[in-house]
Amino acid sequence: MLLFLGLFFAYPMFEGLRLSVWDDDAVLPLRAAPHLDAPESGRLAQGATVEILDRQGNYIGDPGDTDLLTETWYRVSVDQPDGISASGWAPETRIRVRETGADGRPRTATVRPRLGEPDDPRTALRSDPNETAAIVAFAPERAPATIADIAILEVWFKVSDPASEDAGSGWVPSRFVQMLGSGDTGRIDRGSSGEFTTGFIKKMFSDRFFGPAWRTTFLLLVLIVPAQFLLALAMSLVIHARLKFTSWFLYVFTIPMGMSDLAVGTLFFSVFTGNGLLNSILEGLGIIDSAQVFLSSQTRNWIIFAIVVAEIWRSTSIVMVILVSGLQAIPDETLEAAELFGASYWQRVRHIMLPLLKPSIQVALILRTILALQVFAVVIALGGGDTVTVLTNETFRQYFEFRDNNVAAAYAVFVLTLSLASAFLYLRSIRDGSEARQ
Amino acid sequence: MSGSGAGLPALDSPQVRRLHSRAKRRARRGRVWTYVSAIAISLWILIPLLFLTSMAFTTREVVRSYPKNVLPFVPFSIDTIRFFLDQPGVLSGLWNSLVVATITLILSTLLAAPAGYAIARYFFPGRDLVRLGILAVRAFPIVVLSIPLAALFVRANIFDTAYSVACMHTALTMPTSVLISASVFASVPRELEEAGQVFGASALQSFWHIVLPLALPGIAASSIFAFVLSWNEVFAASVLTLDNRTLPALLLVQLQQSSDAYQFAGGFFLMAPSLIFMFFIRNYLFNMWSQVTK
Repeated sequence: MLLFLGLFFAYPMFEGLRLSVWDDDAVLPLRAAPHLDAPESGRLAQGATVEILDRQGNYIGDPGDTDLLTETWYRVSVDQPDGISASGWAPETRIRVRETGADGRPRTATVRPRLGEPDDPRTALRSDPNETAAIVAFAPERAPATIADIAILEVWFKVSDPASEDAGSGWVPSRFVQMLGSGDTGRIDRGSSGEFTTGFIKKMFSDRFFGPAWRTTFLLLVLIVPAQFLLALAMSLVIHARLKFTSWFLYVFTIPMGMSDLAVGTLFFSVFTGNGLLNSILEGLGIIDSAQVFLSSQTRNWIIFAIVVAEIWRSTSIVMVILVSGLQAIPDETLEAAELFGASYWQRVRHIMLPLLKPSIQVALILRTILALQVFAVVIALGGGDTVTVLTNETFRQYFEFRDNNVAAAYAVFVLTLSLASAFLYLRSIRDGSEARQ
Repeated sequence: MSGSGAGLPALDSPQVRRLHSRAKRRARRGRVWTYVSAIAISLWILIPLLFLTSMAFTTREVVRSYPKNVLPFVPFSIDTIRFFLDQPGVLSGLWNSLVVATITLILSTLLAAPAGYAIARYFFPGRDLVRLGILAVRAFPIVVLSIPLAALFVRANIFDTAYSVACMHTALTMPTSVLISASVFASVPRELEEAGQVFGASALQSFWHIVLPLALPGIAASSIFAFVLSWNEVFAASVLTLDNRTLPALLLVQLQQSSDAYQFAGGFFLMAPSLIFMFFIRNYLFNMWSQVTK
C-alpha cells in the first residue's frame, strides 16, 4: 500500500513541484568535439540564434531512440554515361529506393534529379557519408543504382553564438537546432539539460487570468465558508436532537456528499438556466414577468451567486458529518447539567457545544478551505470557465489549452501553498484562542 | 429551579406543576421548531434533486418548454434518457465508468482492509501519518497529480486504459478507505478475537470466522465509498484518458456544446449512484470522522 501511495502521490507531487521551478530545456551544452562524451566547451541558452559553421554525421548502429534526428546515407553504384561504374555515398534525399530485399534492406534505387537545377541535375557521390566529404563522382539523374551499404548518421552542428563573446564555438546535436533560412544560421530550439528558474512562477503571476482567478477563488471562499458553517451547525443540531425519522433526515442531509461537483454543477445549471426551475417558480409566484437570464457572460454576479448556492448545497454535508461526530463525543450529562441549571437551548449551544466542538470545527474549517480552493467543475458547469474563473480552472486551462505543463504546475503549487498556509493559520489561531482563555 | 433546599415548594404543589408544564410546553415548541428546520433543510436538498430527476424522466419538449410544470414527472417518459444514451460515446462512457469503478472497488478493498486492520489492532510508527495523509492528499490539485502520471503511463504503454484510471482512483480513495476500515475493525471487540484463540483457533482462523463476519457490513460501506468516489472523479479521468473516456470526463468535455436534455440526463446518471449508496453508508460516516478528529 505504501508503494501504491508512493507511486501515485509522492512521485507526481514531487514531479509537480519540480515542473514549476525547473526548466528542462533551459540550456544546451556545447561540446569540444561532436560526441556526447566530449568535454563541455560552453553553454547556450534556449532561443539563442547561432551561426552554423560546420556539420558532421556520426555513425549510429541502431536508431532505436526515436528522439534522435538522423539522416540516412546510401553507398550506391551507378553506371555513368561513359559506361564506367562509379560508387560513392549519397544522402537519402537524393536516392529513391525501388526494391527492398527479403531482409528489409533496400537493394536497388534510382537517383533523383536535382530540382531547380536544370543546368546540372546530377547528384554528387562522396567518399564518405558527409556533405563536406570529397566528391568522387557524379551520378546522372534517374540512373538506376544498386545500394551496397547504408549508414545512419546523427548530424552534429558546429555552432557559435555571435551575440555572446565568451561562448566561442562548439558542437551540438542537430536535433536541438532549428535551421533558419538557407541553413547558415539556426536557433536553439530547446536545451538538453535543466536549470532552476522562477520564470514559470513569474509567467503565472503575469498571466492575464491570474488576477481574476485568485480574486474569485478568495471571494468564493469568503462567501461560502461562513454561510456553510451556519447551515452545517443547524443541520447537525437537528440530527443531534434525535427526532423521529432521524435516520431519514440523515440520509437526505448526506446525499450531496456522494455527488461529484460536476453533477452538482449540472444540477444547479438546471435550476438557474433560462428556462429552469428558479425562473419557473418566480414566474409562477408572479414575481417576474419573463424569464431572467442568470448564466451569461453579462451576469457575472449571478454566476457567482449560483456557484455559492451550489457549493453550499454540495459541501455542507461533510461539515455536518464532522460536527455531528463531534457532538456525539460530548457527554449527555454535560448538557443535562446545563439544562438543570436553567441554561436555555441557545445558551447551551453557545457556551457548551461550540467550545467543545472546537477540534471538530478546526478540522472542518481546514478541510473546507482546502476544498474551496479546489472548486472547479461547478464553475465550469455554471459559468463556462471564462466569465468567472478560479485557480484550478487556470491549471486546467494551462494544461489543456496552452499545453504548458510548467505554468500549470506553478498554479498547482500556488494552490498547495495557499492550502497549507490556511491550514497553518487555522491551527495557529485556534490554539492561540484557547491558550488566551486559560 | 434554583432553590437552595430550604423553603422549596412541595412536588405536587400547583406552583411546581405550573413550572413543569411550562418547561414541557417550551420543550415541545422547541421540538416543533426542530422538525420545521429539519423539513426545511430536507426540502432545500431534495427540491433540486427532484427537479433534475423529473427533467431526466420526461419528454424533450418539456425540457425545452417554459415555464415548467409545477408537478414533476408530467408527462412521464424515458425520451430524454433514451436521447442521451443514443449520443455517441455515452454508452461506452457509462461502461468505462462502471469498469473503472468496479476495479477501484476491488483494488481499494483488497488494499485498504488489511491496512485498516493493522491500524486498528497494532501500534506502529507512522500511524498518525495516515490520518494526516487524508488532508495532504486533498490539498494537492488532482490535475497536477495526474499530469506526471499521464506521462508515466504513456511510457509504460497503459495510457488511456481502464486499469490506469482505476489505479489512480484507488490511490485517491485509499486514505479514506483505510480510515473507514480501521474504524470498522476497531469497533469489533478484541476480546472476541482473543476468545476464539483461547478456544484453539489460529490467528487467521479467528480473523476469518469471527472478525470478518462482524466487520463485513462496514467493509462493504467502505467499498461502496470507493465506488462512488471513482464514479464521480472528473480530473484524473480527463487527463488519463483520450478515447476511453469515463462518463464524467465525457460530460466535462461535452458540457459547453450540448443541449439541456443532454446535460440534465447526464447529471442524473452522475448523481444516481450517490442516491443509492449514501443510503447504505450514512451511519459509517460518523465512525470515520471520529477517527480523523481523534
